[in-house]
Amino acid sequence: MAAEKTERVMPREGSTEIHADTKGSKAVRIILITLSVLFLFIMLVMPLITVIYESFRKGFGEYLKAVTDDETVGALLLTLEATVIAVIINTVFGLFAAWAISKFRFRGKKFLVTLIDLPVTVSPIIAGLIFVLTFGRQSFLYSYLEEIDFMIVYAVPGIILATVFVTFPFISREILPVLEAQGTDEEEAAALMGARSFTIFRKITLPHIKWALIYGIVLCAARAMGEFGAVSVLSGHLRGQTVTLPLQVEILFGDNKYMPAFAVSSILMIMAVVILIVRSIVEFIGRRKGEE
Amino acid sequence: MYIELKNINKSYGSFKASDNVGFGIEKGKLVALLGPSGSGKTTILRMIAGLERPDSGEIIIDGKVVNNVPASERGIGFVFQSYALFRYMTVYDNIAFGLTVRKQNKKEIKERVTELIKLIGLEGFEKRYPSQLSGGQRQRVAFARALAPNPQVLLLDEPFAAIDAKVRSELRKWLRDMIHQLGVTGIFVTHDQDEAIEVSDEIIVTNQGRIEQTGTPAEIYINPTTAFTSSFFGATSELTDYKAFENFDDIGEYDKAIIRPEFVKITKKNEQQKYKRSAVEGTVTDLQFRGNSFELTVDCNNSRFSARRGLDEPAVEIGEKVDVFIFRIFITQGNTVTLLKNNAVREETVVI
Repeated sequence: MAAEKTERVMPREGSTEIHADTKGSKAVRIILITLSVLFLFIMLVMPLITVIYESFRKGFGEYLKAVTDDETVGALLLTLEATVIAVIINTVFGLFAAWAISKFRFRGKKFLVTLIDLPVTVSPIIAGLIFVLTFGRQSFLYSYLEEIDFMIVYAVPGIILATVFVTFPFISREILPVLEAQGTDEEEAAALMGARSFTIFRKITLPHIKWALIYGIVLCAARAMGEFGAVSVLSGHLRGQTVTLPLQVEILFGDNKYMPAFAVSSILMIMAVVILIVRSIVEFIGRRKGEE
Repeated sequence: MYIELKNINKSYGSFKASDNVGFGIEKGKLVALLGPSGSGKTTILRMIAGLERPDSGEIIIDGKVVNNVPASERGIGFVFQSYALFRYMTVYDNIAFGLTVRKQNKKEIKERVTELIKLIGLEGFEKRYPSQLSGGQRQRVAFARALAPNPQVLLLDEPFAAIDAKVRSELRKWLRDMIHQLGVTGIFVTHDQDEAIEVSDEIIVTNQGRIEQTGTPAEIYINPTTAFTSSFFGATSELTDYKAFENFDDIGEYDKAIIRPEFVKITKKNEQQKYKRSAVEGTVTDLQFRGNSFELTVDCNNSRFSARRGLDEPAVEIGEKVDVFIFRIFITQGNTVTLLKNNAVREETVVI
């Protein structure tokens, strides 16, 4: 009996099993789990089922027609374009920023870290407005932009700009803690042996942050695809030109075309699920690599 | 002198990490930079390596001022405190790294790495990653990696800090033999006096950014020349008033009277003793088993200090009244140290 008791009190090393007294009673457990499941069902599962049900209500043929509609395909392509460009820009920026913050000491570092987080805290609508005011008709920049025939507001560059802005911190935020935890010892050791900065980056830093970087890219892509607010302000809703998938859904919905609206939503949903799967795989592999 | 530092100063903001530091090291010697944490020993090491730049002063290696020579061209191997092994490279790639970035040909690299792996006794571990090695093995790999490009100087930052006690003493001996065998000049940083005494040919004692004393371990231990070194080495205690103990010369005003456990002889009341006449009565207040001896804490003449007693001697108990005889005392006045010997011992020597 005594042996059994000891075993329960002292869990195996590395196990997450906790003592019954810490865990709380069975009733508490049941209530908590039920609440969570109920909440998830109402907030997530039910809407998802509704979307799928509504999309296919008029049959698969109608669904296909709605999904392959020229405007919808255009919106899909634009969404992908904005996402890819945002991911590329933010990857480059994120790497540089994370690098600068973790490896160097300089004045205003704290300020920079706070600034990187700004896009998450600012409402997307306001982000959109900021760009309209900066590059729109009221701006002193407008005449220059007009001269070189480069329109930002109510044009594709504006949409990309808005997408980049809202997904700004995702990648650097993922890399930063990893870089900070790693310290600079390995890089110093490599530099002492005469390795150039690029070699150091490629052979020592990059392998270390690889999984965090990929995870950041996945998050960034997910957010970029679904962005509505900031893009909506900058887009001008020119059909077939500056409309992304989320905007297309809004337009269809506004036109009382419910079935097509749901059908287009389902595309976004599929993309989200794909990203979720990719994310889980990345997390899984990353964690396994980390344990090695 | 193979390595020489002249009037080195280095500050981080208002903190003075190096205050007019200067010393010389002969070729082939293994030298310890010893001091408490924050005494500036690591800064000195990093400046020699070229990882930090002194604010003023000269660093000379093999007759050349290297202040403006980049770290990678100073002919130095560096072993980091946490080893800083490249965790995404195998043991082989870690050791080969310094040669690979120098674009040596593959065959030469292979020969050199194989030779080093043999030297550190890790044959068969080439394909392992650092995380699959024990602390001692990692240290050896770090050592081999630093040695791969044939440096003339090997710098080690707290090389034994991350290793458990048993392996540590083994590695100390291994490292000392290895460095002497290879003929490189070694400097290692440590805060552990036992380690410095055991491993090094020479010790440089640092404190508050300054060099306190340099010399062989024996010299420094037996003849400390500054107030700091006299209290840093050994398990020292302080006497509140040394004049309360008999048979010591009165040298007037002083700052501290410092004794080490080996300066004290504790005798039971009923035991035979040589200096009964000059002994003072004290009380044992604490008793700790130290494996090879007992460490006693003794209250005597308003002072509390530690002493040792062998396992073969009759046991003493806490609270027991014992006779205390002190052989020697370090007296500090300002930054100078005077060693006072008990005159009872001296008189007897004269008689004999």
